[in-house]
Amino acid sequence: MRRGIVPLALVCLCAGATMLRAQEFKLFDRKVQIHGFASQGFVYTDQNNWLTMHSNQGSAAFTDFGANVSMGLSDRLRIGAQFYDRNLGNLGDWHPSLDWAFADYRIKPWFGIRGGNVKTVIGLYNDTQDYEFLNTFALLPQSVYALDMRDANIAHAGGDLYGNIPLGHRRGTLSYTVYGGWRWDSYYGGYPYALRKTIAPINLTSNGGPQYGGDLRWQTPLSGLLVGGSRMNQQDEGKGTFVPFWKPSAGSIPYWERTRQYWLNQFYGKYSRGPLNLASEYRRTYIDAIDFNDTSNSQIDVRSWYVSGSYRLSKHLELGSYYSHYAMTARYGGILGKAFPPRIDTTLPQNHIYDKVISARIDLNRFWNVKVEGHFMDGYGDGPYPDGFYPGDNPGGFKPNTNALVVRTGWNF
Amino acid sequence: MTTLWNPTKSSAALLAVAALLSYAQQHAFAGDIKIVANPSVRADSITPAELRSVFLEDRRSLDDGSHVEPVLAKGGAAHEAFLRQYVGKSDDDLRTYYRTLVFTGTGSMPKFLDSDAEIINYVSRTKGAVGYVSIDFPSNGVKVLSISRAGAGFARQLVTRVEPEYPETLQRLQIGGTVRLIVTISAKGSVEGVKLLGGNPMLAEPAIKAVKQWVYFPGPSRSMLEVSIPFIPK
Repeated sequence: MRRGIVPLALVCLCAGATMLRAQEFKLFDRKVQIHGFASQGFVYTDQNNWLTMHSNQGSAAFTDFGANVSMGLSDRLRIGAQFYDRNLGNLGDWHPSLDWAFADYRIKPWFGIRGGNVKTVIGLYNDTQDYEFLNTFALLPQSVYALDMRDANIAHAGGDLYGNIPLGHRRGTLSYTVYGGWRWDSYYGGYPYALRKTIAPINLTSNGGPQYGGDLRWQTPLSGLLVGGSRMNQQDEGKGTFVPFWKPSAGSIPYWERTRQYWLNQFYGKYSRGPLNLASEYRRTYIDAIDFNDTSNSQIDVRSWYVSGSYRLSKHLELGSYYSHYAMTARYGGILGKAFPPRIDTTLPQNHIYDKVISARIDLNRFWNVKVEGHFMDGYGDGPYPDGFYPGDNPGGFKPNTNALVVRTGWNF
Repeated sequence: MTTLWNPTKSSAALLAVAALLSYAQQHAFAGDIKIVANPSVRADSITPAELRSVFLEDRRSLDDGSHVEPVLAKGGAAHEAFLRQYVGKSDDDLRTYYRTLVFTGTGSMPKFLDSDAEIINYVSRTKGAVGYVSIDFPSNGVKVLSISRAGAGFARQLVTRVEPEYPETLQRLQIGGTVRLIVTISAKGSVEGVKLLGGNPMLAEPAIKAVKQWVYFPGPSRSMLEVSIPFIPK
C-alpha cells in the first residue's frame, strides 16, 4: 500500500512543485542556496523483470528525490550537503542517505581541495548520474552507469584535489581530479541484494573499503570537444552472515569476502555543437576476489561501452538514441570453481546485454521534463557483477531478449 | 581647369556617406556589450580568460583579491553575444553546467535577471557582482571593465582617463556607436600605440586621440588591452 501511495504523491508533488523556485537567503551576510529535485518513472518490459522491479506487469517503483543546501563561507571556502532517497524496485527502499557533504577550499582556479563525503568523478556522468534532468535520456547507458550498482562508485568519504589548467592560446584546458577515500555501500544496493537472492542467501551487512584514483580531461581547442580518462583502484571487503545450504541446521554463520584486485579504467569523449550532442565512453572493471570465507575466488572482467547522440529540435523537444554494450566474463576457483563453470563466452545472452535505445525528452518548462524511451535488449547478463537482471526476480528463468518502455518525469529547482 | 559642381555626383556621394554612417551605426550596436562591475571590484580591466573563469565559477576572486560573482541575463542579444564571445557555451549548456555545479556541491546558481536595467541595479548594490549589458545602456552606479587582450598576463589599472570629443555634427545627426581599440601600454604606464579594431570610422579619430592621452599604473612589462569607447547620442 505504502509503495503505491508514495510514488503517486511524488507525481503530484512534481506537478505542484513547479510553482516552487530555488531558495536563496543570507546567513551571517553570506548567501545560502537550497535546491532540490525529484523524479518518477514507470517501466514496462515484455519479457524479463528488470532493475529489481516487477516490470513485466508494469512498475512505477522508480522514484528518487534529493535536496541540498550550500553556502560560501569566503571567496575560497564553500560548504554544503545533500540528502538523497530512492526506491527502485527492491533497491533503496526509501532509506535516505547523505549523498554528499563536504567543505571545498579553492585556492586558485588550478588548485582546490575538498574533503568530506564527495561525489566521485569518473567519466562523463558518474557524479551526476542521479540527475536525470541534466541528460537527454531517461536512463543513462546501463552498461556504464548501472542504476542498481550505483553505490559501488558514486561517492567516497575522503578528499579530492582538483583544478583547471589553461594550456594557452588555442591549446584548450586541462581539468584534473585526484581523490582518495572510503566507499560505503548501502545495504539496499544492487550487490547486497544480489547476494541475498542467491541459492545460498548471504546477508551482507557491511561492504566497503578504500578507493583512490583520478580523472584527467581535456577541453580541446576544437570548440565543444572534450576527451578524457579516469582510473579507480579500490579494496573492497564485505561482511555478513549466511546459512550453509549443505547444513542448514548449523544456522547463520559469519561470512566474509574481500578483493585482491579491483580497478576500473574509463575513457571518454563528448562533442557538442549547437543542438547536437555526441558522446561515447568505454569502461573496463576488473575484480579479483576471495569469496566464501577464503574457500573460493573469482575473477570478473566487465567491458562496457556506449555511443550516444541527441539533437534538440526545439525548445521543448529533444530526440536521442544510444547503443549500450555490456560483456562480462567470470572465472571461479575453490569451492565456487567446483560448482560453477567459467563464463567466458560473451556471445551467450547470460554474459552480455546489448541495448538499443531511442528516446524523446519533452521540456514542459525549464524545471520540469517528461521522457519516453524504448529499450531493445539482447541478452540479460546475470553474472556475479549484476547489471539489471537478477535470477531472484525472474524465478521462471530468463528469456534472451527484453524490450522495455520507460517513461520518466523529473523536476528540479 | 576648374572643377564644375555636379549635383548628381554630389547627391550620390552624400547618399553613400549617409548609408555608410547608417550601416556603421547599426553595426556598432548589434550585439555590442560592455562588462559592468560593482565599484568594490578594484580592477579596471579583465582578460577574457578571467571573465570566463568568473562566469564558470572557477574563481570567486580576482588576482587583486576583489570578490567577484557572476550576474547573467535571462536572454536577449547582449546575453547571446556575451556567451558567444567570452563563455563559449550556449544558454542551455551553461544552465546545465550551473545545475551540475549546484547538484554536485561544487558551485552555486548565479543570478539570472530580466533586463539591462535589473542587471545595472543589481550590480550597483551587490558587492563583487560582475555582469554585462548592451553597450549603449547607461551604466550609472557601476564601473565598466575594459577587456584586456588574452595573453596580457595581468590587468592594468587606469590612472588618467581622457574622454573623447563627440563630434557635434554626428551627435546632432544621432550617429553613435562603439569604437573598439587595441591599446599598447608601456611598463611605465604610458600609451605607446593604439590600433583600431572596429566601430564607426568617423568616431575612431576622436577615440584614438583621447586614448593616447590615457595613463596607467606601471606594470611588470608592456601589455595590451582591448578598449571599447561608446559614443551615445543624447
